[in-house]
Amino acid sequence: MVYRSNTRLTTSICAPVILSLFLFATGFACSADLPTRFERSYSPHRTVHLTISNVNGKIHVFSWDKKTITVRANAASSVLIEDEVVGDDIAISTKRNLRLGRADFEVWVPPDTSVIVKNYMGDIEVRGVNGHVIVTSIDSDVRLINIKSPSVDVRVTSGDVYFEGELNEGGSCSLQTMKGDLDVTLPAAASFNLNARALSENINLGTFLSNLTGSSRGPKGVSGTYLRGGPRLSLTAYAGRIQLHKK
Amino acid sequence: MICTKCQELLSDYIDGALELGEQVSIERHLADCEPCRAMRDDLLQIVHFSHQLPLQAPASSLWPRIQSDLTELRPRLWDRPLRWWARIRSFNFNLSVPQMIAGAATLVIVISIGVIVSRRDGPAVNSDTATRLSQVTPLSNADLQQLEKQISKLSDSVEQRKESWDPELRIAFERNLYYVDQSLVECRHQLNDNPADDVSQELMLNAYREKVRLLEGFDKF
Repeated sequence: MVYRSNTRLTTSICAPVILSLFLFATGFACSADLPTRFERSYSPHRTVHLTISNVNGKIHVFSWDKKTITVRANAASSVLIEDEVVGDDIAISTKRNLRLGRADFEVWVPPDTSVIVKNYMGDIEVRGVNGHVIVTSIDSDVRLINIKSPSVDVRVTSGDVYFEGELNEGGSCSLQTMKGDLDVTLPAAASFNLNARALSENINLGTFLSNLTGSSRGPKGVSGTYLRGGPRLSLTAYAGRIQLHKK
Repeated sequence: MICTKCQELLSDYIDGALELGEQVSIERHLADCEPCRAMRDDLLQIVHFSHQLPLQAPASSLWPRIQSDLTELRPRLWDRPLRWWARIRSFNFNLSVPQMIAGAATLVIVISIGVIVSRRDGPAVNSDTATRLSQVTPLSNADLQQLEKQISKLSDSVEQRKESWDPELRIAFERNLYYVDQSLVECRHQLNDNPADDVSQELMLNAYREKVRLLEGFDKF
């Protein structure tokens, strides 16, 4: 009899506790998988330097005709995104932690913004930017489209790099990949000083080759002046080909 | 993965003919296994040198000629060892004690001379290699030594941290480290072929810097 009443008492206490623990654990597990959304807008008075630092996920930067900068990210709940504004510098970064959560960024900027993108894994795209562009990543395909920047610097360890845009007078464009192809499209009337290096595959200058003067050509490198020269175009591919196209 | 399995698949791995899963298993194994890494580098060297060989198309009449020669030679090739074996078997090996002692002494003298000569040749080969290395290393200035020291320090630090990383991150690191190391091996080969090649020197120095960047990036995890 006593035994029965104890069992009932134990059951009546334990059942709700176990049930609530189960619901809590289930809720926690579900919330861990749910993406979180990060969204910020900035209204700078002057031209800014925007830095996006990510670990795992894509980063797309677009230009628009507004004066504001808008950053949106969909991230795993384990990813913490922080922003910091100091003077003309805006920095947005995902905190590194042992769980490799994904964060995908979409960013809209005024065209004259200088953009610095740092990533470990995940594709990167920058469109329509006229400010300085710096991209560094480990494992990313990089696409730079409609770029009219005074300086472009791209370094990836593995991934293809695609550039389509114009080179500014007195500016520089440096693209490098250790494992991947470089594909560059320039206007037919572009003039530049070329320094192209491909360690193990071909350099194909297409129709740019015919007007390249003062050039030195070796098995791994081509350098020379195209038309009037001017901007420095530096292309380096260790295990991949280099291809130049006219727009 | 065990070494024998890894070495069996290395050739396909270098050709890029493996599926991603196998590729990742090999990369994990290579990260921890010095002998297999050495074998991979040897295979890369063979691939590198074979790429440099000129392509020569044989004359169309060559193959029928080889085939007819082989047909003619086949019985002789089989006959020859059999004949030698028959001769050896026909020898009379009944030797006297002084003959056996003289034979043994001759054998000992021949082996001793062989050992002495090979020991004399040893350092000559090493010094030759050292000379070649010193020719290859106009890059080994203070900057390069500093980079190597930095790489060694960072590698130790990253190796310690690596175990706690997310597997996906570890795989990405090892894959990209392999790409950088492969580029460095390729640069070294090209510098061996032509030590004064400015482009290879520049690319090698740049690859070292890239390795530092990679290790520094992952050292933050």
